[in-house]
Amino acid sequence: MSTQVHASIDEATVRQISDELDEPEWLLETRLDALSALEEIDFPDVIQTPGRTWTNLEALDYESLVDPLEAAEEKDQIGPDNIDVLSFTDALDEHGDLLEEHFGSVVDPQTNYLTALSTALFTTGTVVYVPEGVDAEDVTIRTTMNSRSLFNYTLVVTEESSSVTVFERQETGDSVDGNRYYSGITEVVAGENSYVQFGNLQDLDETTYTYALKEAVVDTYATASWIDCNIGSHLTKSSVESHLDGDSSETKIVGAFYGHDDQHFDVDARVWHRGEHTTADLVTRGVIDDEARSVYEGVQDVGREAWDTSSYQRENTLMLSDESEADASPKLIINNHDTEASHSATVGQVSAEDMFYMTSRGLGERLAKNMLVEGFYVPVFEEIEVEELREDLKGRIQDRLQSRD
Amino acid sequence: MSSEEHLQETDTEARFEFKKEEASAFKTEKGLTEETIRVISEDKDEPEWMLERRLRALEQFQQMPMPTDWPGQPDLSEVDVDEIVPYIRPDIETRGGAENWEDLPEEIKDTFDKLGIPEAEKNALSGVGAQYESEIVYQNMQEQWEEKGVIFCDMDKAVQEHEELVREYFMTKCVPPSDNKFAALHGAIWSGGSFVYVPEDTTVDMPVQAYFRMNSEGMGQFEHTLIIAEENSEMHYIEGCSAPKYSAFNLHSGGVEVFVKEDAHVQYSTVQNWSKNTYNLNTKRAIVEKNGTMEWVSGSMGSKATMLYPCTILKGPGATDNHITIAFAGEGQNIDTGAKVYHNAPNTKSTIESKSISKDGGRTNYRGLVHIADGAENSSTAVECDALMFDNESTSDTMPYMEIEESKVDVAHEATVGKIGDEDVFYLQSRGLDDDDAKQMIVAGFIEPITEELPIEYAVELNRLIELEMEGSLG
Repeated sequence: MSTQVHASIDEATVRQISDELDEPEWLLETRLDALSALEEIDFPDVIQTPGRTWTNLEALDYESLVDPLEAAEEKDQIGPDNIDVLSFTDALDEHGDLLEEHFGSVVDPQTNYLTALSTALFTTGTVVYVPEGVDAEDVTIRTTMNSRSLFNYTLVVTEESSSVTVFERQETGDSVDGNRYYSGITEVVAGENSYVQFGNLQDLDETTYTYALKEAVVDTYATASWIDCNIGSHLTKSSVESHLDGDSSETKIVGAFYGHDDQHFDVDARVWHRGEHTTADLVTRGVIDDEARSVYEGVQDVGREAWDTSSYQRENTLMLSDESEADASPKLIINNHDTEASHSATVGQVSAEDMFYMTSRGLGERLAKNMLVEGFYVPVFEEIEVEELREDLKGRIQDRLQSRD
Repeated sequence: MSSEEHLQETDTEARFEFKKEEASAFKTEKGLTEETIRVISEDKDEPEWMLERRLRALEQFQQMPMPTDWPGQPDLSEVDVDEIVPYIRPDIETRGGAENWEDLPEEIKDTFDKLGIPEAEKNALSGVGAQYESEIVYQNMQEQWEEKGVIFCDMDKAVQEHEELVREYFMTKCVPPSDNKFAALHGAIWSGGSFVYVPEDTTVDMPVQAYFRMNSEGMGQFEHTLIIAEENSEMHYIEGCSAPKYSAFNLHSGGVEVFVKEDAHVQYSTVQNWSKNTYNLNTKRAIVEKNGTMEWVSGSMGSKATMLYPCTILKGPGATDNHITIAFAGEGQNIDTGAKVYHNAPNTKSTIESKSISKDGGRTNYRGLVHIADGAENSSTAVECDALMFDNESTSDTMPYMEIEESKVDVAHEATVGKIGDEDVFYLQSRGLDDDDAKQMIVAGFIEPITEELPIEYAVELNRLIELEMEGSLG
């Protein structure tokens, strides 16, 4: 890797970014606070067991991965006319108050070192605003990353009794020498009785290190549904979290990943039951091949006052090669006894019986296996409401299967 | 008979809550220094190598930090090793355990009478060891086993009489002191416990039991159990423990090492009923060779805080491990238990079945690790954790970890948490049971998979303990 000389992560850089985006004073302050917090705060929690750390984020050389002033990307931000789908700078002009109210209210910029870094340095983003009572579909945000590093921000606000489906994807455009870093923070504010489905497909090239944190605060009777698909990157740490603050609120966290070569996926799905009568359903399906490694943590946390909670979690990993490794930790934290909660996790191979059935119907080994692997993702496909995401995910899975030796 | 009458009749509480005057032949000062360890070792007349191992463990203990950052773990801030008395040798004439209950001083004999140990010995056991404070006071085994070459003796005595075996196996291959802070503490000041050796092709068909009793306030008990089951042998070891309640804390930090050789089968059962001022921080581990089987059966009822994760290393192909645990946490208790299994060879199999009950603000945690190493093909593991909660002040956490480095495996983990079902209670009430009895019956049904693994006397004991815990708390 060639030596990089670029702007350092300091106050001057942050001021320059903020100045170029013509930002209001409060946002500059938030950025500077996050910058100065870098000294004290920790990296995101990763699981450690005796003698093993499941993912090592601290080992990355952020100074050389991060080139804050040279961010370059292409972005499509498309949505129906009855709602606002705006670039971050346009949103500052048109919805300044809304941004000031919600920015950092769901994901605290100082949650950890990487969120603070992202808040201090982000240069691009999207704001989706759905007014009261409006139903909107197929909001599409496509980002092509052309620079060494890119920090992205997404905010979705749904007002009372509205609904929206969003699809965001990240891919790589121009190549650069050496490794790259992508960081994305997504905040969803689901207002009373509203519905949000937020689907994401991370398909960056395999020189990239990716950190993504997506969180939703869900109000009374509202539903936040996440579809988090991870295909690309060399190393990915992706956390999806729902805060069920409102009574009778609901969430679904659906995850899919497919790792090959020496990819490493560390995915988390977490739900915080705080209101009464809340429901959560967590489903993650992953395939790992070659020397890929997957790490999964699921947390179902039921608060002391979360009466009448229902919470379910399932995680299934399919191992296609003997050199791959799958780690999983599904956790239940239960403080209210009026709870029905369950979780399960499995790791295994394509079942010999299923293979036998398929081959006895005249299919070749390879085709049979590919069909079974694709079929393994059906519970994920079924949840996806945006056609483009379903087709993209299917296509990427098929590409991976085609390219197997 | 209502449960209340039943309890009064069995008078379970009085059976554990009596205290005896402290009468010791030798007692160390409070706290832990090199000097203390030299004194203990000298009082036991130990060989030089054992003293050296103790001193090395002490050094490791002093270097290691207290575990403080495990999510939801018991608060150990009260555990100040300098405040406990690590070694009390009871005032008895025979070192290494008398062979007749009559030879014991009256207050010690009376203690074990009240706990029902001599009675059980007559009826259901192959051998019994009884530890009072820091040393074994009674040890006996039926002659037929001695003739077959089975050894069941006080650990201190084993250091003297079976020195080569102990030197080879004692905290070397299975639980090294460096494993964790309390294993290091144990390595430094261990005293008492049992040494069990079962020769090849020998089946000890009735269980062997050890009973551990702490009587004095502010003491620590650190017994060490070493079991070696040679090829194609079979045995069942049971330990029971209790102490009266004092205001100051007591510390129990035992060490258990089990070696299961080819085709051997060991079951290790624990019914833990320490008083609710006791910190129970143990390290238990088994190494299982080819086609051997290890079974851990644990009931954790007592203690203020327990941290216990019996571990099995499946070292030989075809080795099997079964874990069955039950934890019951009432007011002020934090029972943090679980299981660890390392699959290090092909065709190994493990099952973990964990049941926990929390009530009156008690907290149960399941913390478990299953590791399947690369190359351990055709291994399978099934983990099942169920938790029952009685009220809204209680907490139940389930934190399993799975590390799978091998693809030809079958791994499944399941957990459920729920409250006691209103419908189930209603059904039983409609059959004429009152609310308390209905709930007790549901709990008894919930833990049945555990009780059916124990000899009948222990199953009854466990049920009684749970009835006692639930008494007055329902409704």
